[in-house]
Amino acid sequence: MTDKIGHSIRRVEDARLMSGEGSYVDDLEPFANVHHAAILRSPYAHANIKKINAEQALTMEGVVEVLTGEDILEHTKPFPVGVSEPINYYSMAVDKVRFVGEPVAVVVAKDRYLAEDAVDAIKVEYEPLDAVVDIEEAMQHDAPVLHENIGTNIANQRFYDYGNSDKAFEEADMVISHKFNFPKYSATPVENYGVIADYTSSENQYTVWSNFHGPFTLHTVMSAALNVPSNQLRLMVPKDIGGSYGIKSGMFPYIVLMGVAARKAGVPVKWTEDRQENLLASSSGTDRVTWIDAAVNKDGTILGMKMKMVDNVGGYIRAPEPASLYRTHSNTLGAYKIKNLQMETVAVMTNKSPTGLIRGYGGQQLYFPLERMMQHIAKKLDMDAAELVEKNLIPSDAFPYETPSGGIYDSGNYQKALKTALDTAQYNEFRQKQKEAWKKGKYLGIGLAAIVEPSGSNMGYVTVALTPEEREQSLPKSGCAEGATVSIDPRGSVTVRISTVPSGQGHETVAAQIVSEVLNVEADKVKVIAEMDTATNPWSVASGSYSSRFAPIGSSAIYQAAQKVRNKLLRIAEHQLGEPFQHLTIKNGRAVAEEDETKQISLKRLIGTAHWNPVDLPEGMEPGLHESAFYTISAAKAPAKDDTVNGSVTYGFVADVVTVEVDPDTGEVEILDYVTVHDAGKLLNPTIANGQILGGLAHGLGGAMYEELAYDDNGQLLSGSFMDYLCPTATEVPNITIEHQETPSPLTPLGAKGLGEGNTMSAPAVIANAVTDALTPFDIMIDDLPLSPDRIWRKIQEKKRVVVKEEF
Amino acid sequence: MEGKGEIKLPGNKEEVFNQLMDPDVLEKCIMGCKNLEKIEENKYKADLSVGIAAVKGKYDATITLDNVEEPNFYTLIVHGEGNPGIVDAEGNIHLDSDGANETLLHYTYTADIKGKVASIGQRMLGGVAKLIINDFFKKAKKELQRQQSAS
Repeated sequence: MTDKIGHSIRRVEDARLMSGEGSYVDDLEPFANVHHAAILRSPYAHANIKKINAEQALTMEGVVEVLTGEDILEHTKPFPVGVSEPINYYSMAVDKVRFVGEPVAVVVAKDRYLAEDAVDAIKVEYEPLDAVVDIEEAMQHDAPVLHENIGTNIANQRFYDYGNSDKAFEEADMVISHKFNFPKYSATPVENYGVIADYTSSENQYTVWSNFHGPFTLHTVMSAALNVPSNQLRLMVPKDIGGSYGIKSGMFPYIVLMGVAARKAGVPVKWTEDRQENLLASSSGTDRVTWIDAAVNKDGTILGMKMKMVDNVGGYIRAPEPASLYRTHSNTLGAYKIKNLQMETVAVMTNKSPTGLIRGYGGQQLYFPLERMMQHIAKKLDMDAAELVEKNLIPSDAFPYETPSGGIYDSGNYQKALKTALDTAQYNEFRQKQKEAWKKGKYLGIGLAAIVEPSGSNMGYVTVALTPEEREQSLPKSGCAEGATVSIDPRGSVTVRISTVPSGQGHETVAAQIVSEVLNVEADKVKVIAEMDTATNPWSVASGSYSSRFAPIGSSAIYQAAQKVRNKLLRIAEHQLGEPFQHLTIKNGRAVAEEDETKQISLKRLIGTAHWNPVDLPEGMEPGLHESAFYTISAAKAPAKDDTVNGSVTYGFVADVVTVEVDPDTGEVEILDYVTVHDAGKLLNPTIANGQILGGLAHGLGGAMYEELAYDDNGQLLSGSFMDYLCPTATEVPNITIEHQETPSPLTPLGAKGLGEGNTMSAPAVIANAVTDALTPFDIMIDDLPLSPDRIWRKIQEKKRVVVKEEF
Repeated sequence: MEGKGEIKLPGNKEEVFNQLMDPDVLEKCIMGCKNLEKIEENKYKADLSVGIAAVKGKYDATITLDNVEEPNFYTLIVHGEGNPGIVDAEGNIHLDSDGANETLLHYTYTADIKGKVASIGQRMLGGVAKLIINDFFKKAKKELQRQQSAS
């Protein structure tokens, strides 16, 4: 049958989405008498709040309540965060603002218009303070300090030494060093944040609808902030979310803020974020400075690396940060068999907006310097970049491969994927064309990136931010638990309940494919309930959609729950047919003895027995068909005493080859071809996989070429609308060729690994490599982004003389 | 953001200087300025209504005349706060005689904006600043011409 695992069946979600029947949070009216909130935000990046005067606002038509930091202080506690010296982060500014756009007051009114008008009437007196936005400046001793209680802007700092780096650096023929800057950018889902909060005072119960998609570790963070037992914060999410790409996990402060607003106002409160608010103050990736030293032999063998990476987490370090620094900790050396690694990781706070999950999370910040460095080393050694990469790749017989920092790469064949990429892009032919073009004053370039794509993150990886001694103080964190329920009702219909909270990835479709395969029923007969409700769903801390965890983890939980139902049906069949369980299978709606097909019984009868006639069930069996399963992978262990950690359970591979032409007069880059080869293990639905890859690639293209949350020295955001914050649209997306290689994961029951974030991680590196390559005659170094025409033009102008060498 | 410029105005230095220090003239010449009220010597409050890109709005402003060296020089300081954000502008105005009955005015200015207007109006800001300044001197020139022809 073609609706099973591995086939490109149509997405079941699309019919409702394309006919306007999707259910998004802004469409919902889950409570009666819903009022609307508008938020007053700070115009200053750093200032003390002297006085807030809301008297006039409170007298205005339709205004029910105005909340300020005092209310937040009264009803909430600071959000917990996993660093040793936590700061006080609340859902609204208390006494001081630390970034432009930080909430200062909330108005609750009969409608949004009245609420916005009342916001205008609130007078706030500020005492402006010096701001700091630059990573390196924020680390200086005389820098303005954001949080007086810790007396420094450094929120987290650790040092790691794996292997024997000092020896490697002594023995190497040379050390090559460079510093790279990665910009702050975001994701721009079509749908922004939306929250509808209700508070029942007799039960001290918060019930909140929102488009939050996890990680549900943040449920514990929110209930701790609200200072209620976690079952008194019921989070509900509709089945449709208009994209997130990680950013919507950053809405958790607003869930708390609106919960308190509903509590104080005594009415349910709805808030829908607008686009300006989204760019100004929702969430984003970190900007990062990375210093790399590479110990290299003349033949191209890389013996070791030393890296210092400093992430800018904005005005407040908040959960799950400093995870951006550690999400790729296990795969810091990417696809390379380098044995020695020293690392210093630092999270610094500045007067920019706070950060959090974003597609690729930490990967783009890692691979931009790492993959640029590979090209840089090749150039220094006068080697071809492809040759250098190939020479250092982990060989295909080395899997499972343990990295110096503790990652366990489950499977792969990196050489083969790289070869496919180079062949598809016609690498050698392009090199010839390039030489000809240079002579004619045309600047063609080819770049490559070979990256490891981690998926299914280990809950324990973030705790590597703490020292082994600090970790010992509390319960070890490990695993990647996810739950799912498969049930069959009395008339025989199959329902699946998932807690993966999709935001457009097609989980309903794939869940139906998996269950249909296990139970041998048609996929379109399987109903998947994707709504999240923390009061009734099977969920655990790791639930939600992030770290590409659906394919390795979420799908496995569904598979396991379906297996339980299948086993139960076959146990009933065993009892009724008198055939041993092991000999039974499900075929064409019947349980059949494999060796004697005359022995069979319809599923309808087995299901009927479970519901209508439990007396005929095997002795001790419970009635009904309703099975939940929780799934984790034991490879996701807590960090060891030596600070090694396997941060993800599966590791895919992406090989990109990109060709460009650069106009030296304007600095404009044209991408000619983008070839990307993926190995994500067994593909569950190739059409969906390709859609995910294209989306991730467009996001990576944005990071490479267009997107930046740019700030001036005073901490004012300069790109707060789509006029200045440029996102790639369909016309900017280049010609893309996707190829797949399927090396199954030995760890997951279906052999699948996650995908969809790979090109977000690789695109900035590979495009920068191609542009650098094109401009070889100018000898420029690209070490910052985005690759806007003015940036490239300036780099070209800095090189005064152009010499096109004869050997080109 | 910063800039500079010059403009030739009718009248001698003293006349021009007095006009440009006159709150009534300031109110007439500053774009969107209403209800200019003296709060102390050389310090006024006013309502400013200015639109930059999509961010139109009202600002509660204070306008200060500082470093006054009659009839050669003064600094015009504008601080406006409103829902669209905060505007801080400072202009140095320097007068030189140009013949008996004309004055050459040189100016330099810096302007800083904060809040929403900064995050979405950046692209237009330089143009808007120029527009406001040019408008100011154009109106001031007209006002001087009107007064001269009246006298």
